[in-house]
Amino acid sequence: MKRLVCATLLGGLLSGCMGSMPLPIGPLNRQLESLGANRDPSLSGRWLALISGKGGREQVMLVDLELQQPLPLPGLNRADAQPLSVSVDGAGDRIALVRQLEGRTELVLYRRSLQSLQPIAMVPSGVPRQVQLQADGRQMAVQVSRGGLWQVDLVQIP
Amino acid sequence: MVERSGRATLLLQEQPSGTVIRLRHFQGHQPHSSPSLSWTGRYVAALVQQGAQRVPLIEDRATGALHRLPLPADRTAVRLSLAPDARRLAVQVAQAGQWRVQAFDLAGLLEPDLPGGVAIQGGGPGAPP
Repeated sequence: MKRLVCATLLGGLLSGCMGSMPLPIGPLNRQLESLGANRDPSLSGRWLALISGKGGREQVMLVDLELQQPLPLPGLNRADAQPLSVSVDGAGDRIALVRQLEGRTELVLYRRSLQSLQPIAMVPSGVPRQVQLQADGRQMAVQVSRGGLWQVDLVQIP
Repeated sequence: MVERSGRATLLLQEQPSGTVIRLRHFQGHQPHSSPSLSWTGRYVAALVQQGAQRVPLIEDRATGALHRLPLPADRTAVRLSLAPDARRLAVQVAQAGQWRVQAFDLAGLLEPDLPGGVAIQGGGPGAPP
């Protein structure tokens, strides 16, 4: 009994000293681990978009954090495309993707509800590298290379 | 990110005014990388340099509080994403030559940052239905 009281007091003292800490989401992290190597996470609402690879081939994954399951993204991933950067909106509907395809780097916007893919042109022309969608899906920030300089474009989405 | 004295430095700019907003806790920990913002800009997260380590750091602009996420020594933080509502953080780490993404629950650490007009669900006893 004395030992139990001591352990409880010690635990209380330690947690008081350390304060609150971010807690790893164990089941989700195990699920992610099972997908293979993962990079470029993008969180919004109940959604996590990331680039996941197994056996040297990478693709965009969308994970529903409440169900802790990947969702199908028909028409988005291509065997001959290399995803570079991905971002999802808060509704889990719009996914912005920078990818390399047939020697070109392009920015595309995927609508999950429509299963549509729309190329987004850089104006003036430039090479996109990273993208971040605003949570409401109305705007995105794009890191673009132009004439050897990195720039950030804010792009309105219709 | 902008170059300041040759080092990548986090810059927070209000849109559309372009006003630069001062951050309290990021100075002196360059190079910064992987900036991420919550809905209203209350929380600013980025990777910073602390000694030999890359450390995820979150600044609460409303209270001035600083939150660090220490990682085990065998993991190097590469990129992060803060959820707009500040309920979760995802960190890409390099571990044993492989990239992994790890998710963290921030519910016990940060107040949610919701867009204007969104009510917080729930409530204690006596809360209106």
